Amino acid sequence: MTATAISTEHLTRRFGDLLAVDDVNLRVASGQFFGFLGPNGAGKSTTIKMLTGLLAPSAGRIEILGLGLAENPVEVKRQIGVVPEGMALFGRLTGAEYLNFAGRMYGLDRETAAKRASELLDFMQLADQPQTLVTDYSHGMQKKLALAAAVIHNPKILFLDEPFEGVDAIASGTLKAMLQRMITHGATIFLTSHVLEIVERLCSHVAIIHRGKLVAQGSLEELRAGVEAQAAGALAANAAPGATAIPSGEKLTLEQIFLRIVGGAPAAEQELSWLG
Amino acid sequence: MAWLRTPPEARGQIAAIAKVRWQLFVNSLRSLHGRLELVSRGFIGLGFAFAGFGGGFGLGSAAWFFVSSGRAEWLALLLWPVFMFWQLFPLLATAFTDNFDSSNLLRFPLSYPSFFLIRLAYGSLDPATALGSLWLTGIALGIGYARPQLLPWAALVLAAFAVLNILIGRMIFAWVERWLARRRTREILGVVFFLILISFQFLGPLVNHFGKGSPPAAGHIVSQLLPLERLLPPGLAAAAIAQAMRAEFAAAFGAFLLLGAYGVVIGWLLHLRLRAQYRGENLNEAVARSTSRNGKSAIRPGWKLPGFPASVAAIFEKEFRYLSRSGPMLFTMIMPVVVLLIFRLTPSSSGNADAFLVRAPDLAFPAGAAYALLVLTNLVYNNFGADAAGIQFFFAAPVRFREILLAKNLAHAAVLALETILVWLAVCFVFRRPSLDVTLATLAGLFFALLVNLTVGNLLSLASPKKIDFGTFGRQRASNTTVFASFGVQIAVFVLAALTLLAARRHGEIWLATLIFLALAAIAAAAYALLLSRADQMALARRETLIAELSRA
Repeated sequence: MTATAISTEHLTRRFGDLLAVDDVNLRVASGQFFGFLGPNGAGKSTTIKMLTGLLAPSAGRIEILGLGLAENPVEVKRQIGVVPEGMALFGRLTGAEYLNFAGRMYGLDRETAAKRASELLDFMQLADQPQTLVTDYSHGMQKKLALAAAVIHNPKILFLDEPFEGVDAIASGTLKAMLQRMITHGATIFLTSHVLEIVERLCSHVAIIHRGKLVAQGSLEELRAGVEAQAAGALAANAAPGATAIPSGEKLTLEQIFLRIVGGAPAAEQELSWLG
Repeated sequence: MAWLRTPPEARGQIAAIAKVRWQLFVNSLRSLHGRLELVSRGFIGLGFAFAGFGGGFGLGSAAWFFVSSGRAEWLALLLWPVFMFWQLFPLLATAFTDNFDSSNLLRFPLSYPSFFLIRLAYGSLDPATALGSLWLTGIALGIGYARPQLLPWAALVLAAFAVLNILIGRMIFAWVERWLARRRTREILGVVFFLILISFQFLGPLVNHFGKGSPPAAGHIVSQLLPLERLLPPGLAAAAIAQAMRAEFAAAFGAFLLLGAYGVVIGWLLHLRLRAQYRGENLNEAVARSTSRNGKSAIRPGWKLPGFPASVAAIFEKEFRYLSRSGPMLFTMIMPVVVLLIFRLTPSSSGNADAFLVRAPDLAFPAGAAYALLVLTNLVYNNFGADAAGIQFFFAAPVRFREILLAKNLAHAAVLALETILVWLAVCFVFRRPSLDVTLATLAGLFFALLVNLTVGNLLSLASPKKIDFGTFGRQRASNTTVFASFGVQIAVFVLAALTLLAARRHGEIWLATLIFLALAAIAAAAYALLLSRADQMALARRETLIAELSRA
């Protein structure tokens, strides 16, 4: 049986009256490339922030590699890497200084931190501007640097919040190469992304959150089978108005699965009649 | 002036911006931090109101005296300080100014005249404009009380002078912001600004020196400078009023026109900058594209701090790297030495407070050390301000917040130690070598004051953080709550230390001060340790506010 890397029990987060994350029970097995999807404002970033200790849950429990995050925050953080929404960079350091700093903050000795920082800069093709401050990096360069800093201590789990947002095809290729390499070596990756094509290509398992609730979880095949079964059932019972059949032999894409689960009803004709 | 013709929708746009500013203010009150800020602003506002109305009354009385005694030219003596304050206060006291960032407005279909007016109007909502306006009103009322028939003309001239002040202030801000947008020019500007500040500090002693030494020479310099002074805005405004009082209307009108000409030139310089901004000028520094790779990059290992964990050493190193990249901050580090030089230049017979150290050179080291501590305030009371979005890294990394604070405090203490050595050497060179008992008492006092500052600084850094944006000017570098609380702490510590030292000196038992300071330091150390032990819980409890405040764009 595969060990559990990430699990949550009744994870809940309120912001005043808003229930941003509602009783989420999540299971991510070790070694999975896990995509966490949802429409805007569904609770993806809030969940990833709670999983990485950047935000306190209102209720519920988080376990990372079998350790309770609330009870063992430092031990858990030692085993994970994070690229949060704002990338968490120190703008007035150079790339090399930042990676060196990150390595030592994650407990590496001076020599190892310096050696890995150097290798990561080369791998990420950031070694050409040794004197450039991070604040002067382009967005793509900053993303690559943030990822390099998140992996410098060789974490067992990597959390990425929208890693491909605003990144060009070349930088995106570098990031994907690094992530694939980590998966090959047994790491677990948990990422949120709006780019469903990338998630479909990279992730083996997916969870979908909608209005704070976890509405689907499993491998892509499991999700596809679930949607197909639901569509067939709805058609047979003629219960769901607007239910559409899935053409036989056609394999649903992740985008289609996502839209069927979350529901992306087109706006009514009469709305915004003044537009155009 | 066709470019100043506002389109019909401009009024609605300006009203919408005013409304959004109001809504931002109201929404800020939803958080405790926002409410605390409002209370602090209330207290600061009271201080400004006192200065505004009190100053207005004082300046009005002086204006009444000058005009009623037929010496209206002397109004320049009142207008010059108002002018200097109006222009220098926003530069010196950015803690009290909150420059409006209008770059976000460019996405809307805002005409250039509307953009210009908005920049001018909202950028002028600062204490300097409020105080300057109150003081000029006081002067106008004083003139009107002395010569009622002169009031309309004086009010017109002073109103023009006020508009000119606003234009100059906005023009300086707009250009300074342009220079600050690039790091290299930012550093150069910081150094120039610092040198100007230092030269201002030397002005007093030099004037004193030349004034006492050779009065005819000083008189000659003043007489040579006077024609120039009359051509500058405060002199012109005073001349326009004085000439009108003497019924020399043509000359008065000429001076007023010249004042207007200044307004046109300054307005044009402001227009150049704002037009560039309006057209979408982007001053971001792009990284040069490199075509060649030099093979593997070798990186030197980080610093080692014996006796401390690697994380503490890493943060310590990071703090020093940040400091070394802030030219202006580095220059402020030598300020204590400069201040000692200024004190030394002041003649002992002048009777000024400045000459105090010449008469009591044994207090030079304590005074210099106290100034060094004051310089440190910039760093310790907003510990995470420069980290900005990097704060998330601290929360994501396997490090306790007590270690983070300890590392930052160690870095700041090392800076103070370095500065104290510099001050001690400067005192030896400029005054005389401080006696052993004074040195020990000063070091003990400094230790106590440092611990108090670090304790309160850590608390405020967690409770009331403020992102420091190096690329902008006139935005606060600390929250109002922090500014207000740090003032209180500094005053309390300095008064306590000064009283202790002076009492011990009067009794000829300086070692008593050492003992008292050490006892106080022990109490402060206990408070520091207590706060550090609770730092993790405090940081966790405040993490959302810290991340939101420091990571905001």
